[in-house]
Amino acid sequence: MTQAAFKQNSHLNPELREAGANLQKLLGRWLNTNRDTRGIAECTIARDGDEVKVSIVGVGDDGPIAWPTVAAHSMANLEEEAGQRTGALMATFDFEFMRAETHIRINKGVLVIVLFATFLDGSGRSNYLNREFFYAQG
Amino acid sequence: MQFAQISDRVEATARDVDSSSLVGAWINSNLDTNSIARVKITNADGGLQLEVFAMGPDGLIDWGPSKAQVFAGGPASHAAAGFTCRYDFGFAEARLQAMIMKGLLVLAQFHLFKDDSGRSDYFLREYFALSHDRF
Repeated sequence: MTQAAFKQNSHLNPELREAGANLQKLLGRWLNTNRDTRGIAECTIARDGDEVKVSIVGVGDDGPIAWPTVAAHSMANLEEEAGQRTGALMATFDFEFMRAETHIRINKGVLVIVLFATFLDGSGRSNYLNREFFYAQG
Repeated sequence: MQFAQISDRVEATARDVDSSSLVGAWINSNLDTNSIARVKITNADGGLQLEVFAMGPDGLIDWGPSKAQVFAGGPASHAAAGFTCRYDFGFAEARLQAMIMKGLLVLAQFHLFKDDSGRSDYFLREYFALSHDRF
């Protein structure tokens, strides 16, 4: 049998040939642990056929701002830390003025969203990253 | 000014983000890693360049140089807090997303296979310390 191509040992991890990403614990509605956030208020992760969809609500001036729902890319999790194996998601939100690339994972029962924002509008704002934490509703 | 979250509504002056905090040789804190062992970050051509060395069965594998995009800690900040970078190996793509946290570089890796090997795309995250010669 020909060995698969690799660029690091983990590319050859036999677990990658077993079941795909376990995403069950990610599904549901998640609320920001920081009630005073000026960023993401909540996130809903749901299955839609073979896809996993992510909906985010940002905090706005006059109320919530619904971001466009996007299909996420599911990833198996090979993190060694605490033997956690719940999958992770990559989701990109395209606004005309900004692109937000996120990765979403669970850490000790808390949903973590890491966001990398790139501004496309020449407003002078710096591209930036941010990390927020969410708890499962209900 | 358009925004998708109110934290993005800031007065800002267009200025380069200072990426000096990212420059250097970052070493994985996990001696037994099966992944990236070290990352060399340099300033090159007005941007940031990475060189990644990962653990292979017979020693380190040099992924070669790649340009990185720098990110600040907020839309009004001009101090680097992390970067993103992509490597295309042909059979797979590696996307790196890194952030500085408590002096460590937290590096998230996303590996997307493009071959027919049947491997799942996967994620992992490891911690890197900036090597220095102070003590």
